Order: sequence, then C-alpha cells, then structure tokens
Amino acid sequence: MERIHPRVRILWLLRGVFPSLFLGAVAIGVTAVLSSNPLGNISEALPVGGAVALLVFGLGVVHTLFRYRAFGYEVQDDALYIERGVLTKVNTVVPYVRVQHIDTQRNPFERVFGLGHVVVYTAGSRGADVSVPGLLPGQATDLQQRLRTLAGESEPDDAV
Amino acid sequence: MSERLHPLTVLLRGGSRGMSLALFGFFAGSFVGGAGMLADAVPFGVLSGGPLALIGFVVGFAYEVARYQRFEYELTADTLDIRSGVFARREREIPLRRVQNVDVTRDLLARVVGIATVQVETAGGGETEASFQYLGLDAARTLQDGIRQRKRQGTTAATEGEADAATTADAAVDRGPVERETLFELDESDLLLLSVLSFDVRALSILFVFGPMIGPAVVGYLDANGGVGTAALLLVAAVAVVGLGLLFWALGAVTTFVQYYGFRLTRVGDELRYERGLIQRYDGSIPLDKIQTVTVEENLLMRRFGYASLAVETAGYAPGASPSGGSEAAVPLATRDRVLALAGQIEPFELPQFERPPTRARRRYMVRYGLVVALVAAVAFTVDAYLVSYPWWVTLGLLVLAPLAARATWQNRGRALGEDHVFTRNGFWRRRTQLVPYYRVQTVIEKRSFFQRRWDLSTVVVDTAGSRSLLGDDASAVDVDADDAREFARGVTDRFQTALVSRRSGTSAESEGDSSAPTGGAD
Repeated sequence: MERIHPRVRILWLLRGVFPSLFLGAVAIGVTAVLSSNPLGNISEALPVGGAVALLVFGLGVVHTLFRYRAFGYEVQDDALYIERGVLTKVNTVVPYVRVQHIDTQRNPFERVFGLGHVVVYTAGSRGADVSVPGLLPGQATDLQQRLRTLAGESEPDDAV
Repeated sequence: MSERLHPLTVLLRGGSRGMSLALFGFFAGSFVGGAGMLADAVPFGVLSGGPLALIGFVVGFAYEVARYQRFEYELTADTLDIRSGVFARREREIPLRRVQNVDVTRDLLARVVGIATVQVETAGGGETEASFQYLGLDAARTLQDGIRQRKRQGTTAATEGEADAATTADAAVDRGPVERETLFELDESDLLLLSVLSFDVRALSILFVFGPMIGPAVVGYLDANGGVGTAALLLVAAVAVVGLGLLFWALGAVTTFVQYYGFRLTRVGDELRYERGLIQRYDGSIPLDKIQTVTVEENLLMRRFGYASLAVETAGYAPGASPSGGSEAAVPLATRDRVLALAGQIEPFELPQFERPPTRARRRYMVRYGLVVALVAAVAFTVDAYLVSYPWWVTLGLLVLAPLAARATWQNRGRALGEDHVFTRNGFWRRRTQLVPYYRVQTVIEKRSFFQRRWDLSTVVVDTAGSRSLLGDDASAVDVDADDAREFARGVTDRFQTALVSRRSGTSAESEGDSSAPTGGAD
C-alpha cells in the first residue's frame, strides 16, 4: 500500500479554517441576538464564537489526521486500488481496462505546497470519485504515466 | 446527401419562440414606456409594449427560420453528421457504433400533423447528443432504422449479402429482410391491472408521518366546535386516510395508464424497440449490445399477485432526461415467469440462490426502525405538550412494527455471484433484483459506514456505466458481513477479468460486434 505525502495534511487543515471561522461568526451572531442587548454584548459573545471556531477547527485536525492515516493506494496488476475514509471507509477497485482518461491537477493551494493530485475517470457514474491527492508533482506525473501505460496495455474496451 | 428538418418546424418552433419573445418585448416595452424618459427620446413610441412585441415576434420567428436553414444532417456509412447553429455554428460527428438509444417522440400536435422529435443518445456528456425537432415521421423512422442498419454493417465489416441489401436500402428503408419479432404486448386488461398495481405504497407512509401532527389539530378544532364523540372522530380519521389513499392511487393509475397505453416491445435485428403512450407517443430503440444492467422490479402488490416488471438500462441517458423518465422500462407488467423468460431472452441468465445478509443485520434494522418510531413519538409528544393534548403515546404502538419491518427489509436483501452476472436484490416496498454482466462492471466499491462498522458489516457497490446508477440505483449488496463483502468484491473483480479475457477470445473467433458476444450466445 502506497502512502501519500504527509504535507497534504496541511492542505486539508487549511480547508478547515474557513468553515470554523464561519461557524464561529455564526455563533457570535446567535449569542448576541439571543442576549437581551444585542449590540452591547458583542464582547460577551466573542469568547463563545472563539470557542466554537476552535472546537470546529479541532475536529478538523482530528479528521485530517485520521483521514491521512486512512488513505492508501496501490497500483496492482490489473487495477488501481484505493482505500480511504474516516467515518465511512471506502475501498475502490478501478480495473485499468475501464480507465477513460487520467488527469494530473494542481490547484493554487496545492501549488503553494508543491503538491498535486491525479484523477482517474471511468465511464461509470462514480468515475470522477477516483482521485489520489497529496502527490509531489513528479510523483503525480509518474503515477499518471504508469496508469496510462497500464491502461494502454489493456485493450481499449470500455463496455459502453 | 444532406437532409433537412421538416418544413413545419419553422411554423411550430418559429411560432412558439416568436410568441415568447413577443411577450418579453411587450412587458419590457410596457416597463420602459411607463418610465417615460427613454420612450420620449425615441420617435413613434417604438419602445412601448405593442411595437416591441411585434419586433420580438419577428426576431424570434426569423431566428427559427435561420435555424431551420442552417440545420443539416447526413447519415454516412459510419457516422451521423450534423451541421447546425445560427450564431455559434457547430459541426458534430457521431460515430454510429457509439450510439446508444434513438428515441422518437410525438406529442399530440406532432401526431396530428405527422412529425416527430428524434433524439440520439451516446454515452458521453450529460445531455442528448443530437436532437432533431422536428422531422417528418417517415424521415424519423428512416433515421432510426438507418442508424441500426449501418451500425450492424459497420461492425460486421461488410459480411455477405446483408451489406448489399442495406446499401440499396439507403434511400427507402428496407424493413423486409430484418427479423422482427414481437416480444411483448401489453393488452388492455394487463394495462388496467398495471395501472391498478402501480400504486406506490410508500405514498401512504406520508399519512403516518403527518397524521400525528395534523390529526391533533383537527381534533382540537372539532373539540372547540362543540365536541364530537371519539368514535365519530376515529371514523372521520379513517375516512380521511382511506380517501387520501384512494386519491393517490387513482392519480397513479391514470398516469400509468396514459404512459403505457399501447405498449409493445419488439426485437428488430439486434435492437429492442418499444412503443407506448396514449397522448404522447414514444418509440425508442435499445441496442442489445449496449445493455448495462437488467432489473426486475416488483412492488408489494405485484409480488402478492405474482407479477413483475422489467427494466433494461443503457449508458445513453442523463438521469431523468430519457423520455421514459429515467427508467427505460422494457416490460411494465407481466407475470413473474414471463418477465424472467423475457429477461433471459435479452440477457441469458439463470436465477441463482440469493444469499441474505447475516441475521445481525436484522437487529441493525430493528434498531433503526425503533429510532424512527422514537422520533415520531417525540414529535407527537411535542405536539401534545405545546399544541393540543391527545394520547401521543399511541404512536409508541408502532414499535410493534419495528421487528416486522426489520425482518421484511432483511428478507428482501440478497446477493449472488452467478455464472456470467453479479446479482443483487434490495427493497421491500419495491423490490429490485439487478443483474450486471461481469463484462459491464466499471468499478467495484466496498464501503463501511461508521454504524456498519459497529456491526462488522459492509456494502459492496458494483458500478456500471448505466444511467440509472447516477441516481444511486447501482447494484449493491448491502450489509454483508465484512469478510464476505471483501470476498464478494474480489469475486466480482476476478470474474470481471475472466469475462474480459473470454470475451476477447470470443470476439476474435466470431465476427466482431456480434450482439450476443458479451453473454456468449443470446439465442
């Protein structure tokens, strides 16, 4: 089972920042409105918001750690195998014959941290679900290359 | 030789687009005219409602005329070429061997004047790949048949005799040499039966959900207005429930009747053709070699009386976009034996012994339904505490049903690895037995949710390119023992690889593209 780059955890953590800030802000708003004197009590509401934000962020941290530990992939003889998921564990098997095309993608955040991900498309309805995150650019193109070769070796036969 | 749409298209589409633009113009004009200033700047009150409406109509109509003139299509030996577009021009070439379904739809107006809408579906993309609105009925049929014939020729690479016959059939469709066999016809009594049976029992469940909430309000109202005896109240409630139920039923029955009137399934060469509809007439083709999954569906009533329905699925449609509303029903209703026989004709199989989930799954469902009852009771209690008081604890009586429901759910789940297909079965109200040829498997997904892990259970989803799977209707073996699930998933992938190999050796031995190749001998 191959692991992905640990740095991907920072990316996932950052993804949790906005929701936690947002929920913190909502908490502030709600506390302020519920109290008798909405405008005057902003200062009282601040700690509540902070606590909520921290809590959400903390959950994000835990989730990220577990998520990283749960993720693994394997380039097998005739299929790509992916294991992932924290609350719901998902194992996916994608036979190379079924691969339609393969993308290497690097969004701005990933580029800042020098990472990228590979997306494997099949004709199946869940095709776009199959993606391997947290790869160094070289690794990503490598994986893409490898999958492409494997997919190419198996005769094109997409069964649609 | 490129062809055109039917000339009436201009009148119909031009008329409707003209009208809609005219309406827009009218309102925009009235609005601007009302604002005054702008209108004064332009002479003759051009910017007021009436003239703008006229301009709108002319522009809309002119657009459709241009569209008609730009639209050309041609059926070549192996592609369908379409040139279209007024402002943005598009030339589209659809390889015929990639075509999944060809649907001919005629609404009432189209039927009166003898025209039709033709839609050609391929597996790629989210929407219909080629839509012809409108073609003359003959042209529509020519197109439908032409695609089928050329597809066959293209794949069999000019085999003896047939090829010549089909080339001469270029202009006028030659329906003579093609083998046509009516597989199924829905006669009137069966149609009535279908309408009656198609009632979705789940609609009634609404009553159980809203009953506890609305009921007390009604009671409270009656109480406030002089009060009625409890017996009378119960009577009223019972009448209401039965009345609503009947209403849902009648609505469902009428819809079904209209949809499936005159249903007929034919086998034309290597395609299935279905026809149906009372008001709007549908006529679609389903290539046998494109079928992804076959589903036998029986709702509670059908099961009780030994009936079933059959659906086949290709990769052609976007969800809900097909003329049949997402489900390409092959046989809406027939006796169970008949349905199985027909399914066997389409995709030869033997019904295996289904393996049920372990009995602990039953306990899991019991807990689940128990929680649902608890939720209903909580709602009822809240209503009781804050709105009107009534014996809310009656809802707890539903707990008796939990074990029964759990048993029913458990009993109807199953899975099996057959010779050539993987089978799954789910659902109590509407039981779906799905079979997927190993060859059609795209990916295999094994999942365990948080709650499933506590019971050491897993779900295995077999994904295909079929369009219904987009709606989450994938063949899935739910709540299988975790170890068995792993084995099941491995079983599917192994057999998939084997099927692939045997299909390859099969296709090189026989003629390539033979419709029966995926299953090894359809008839």
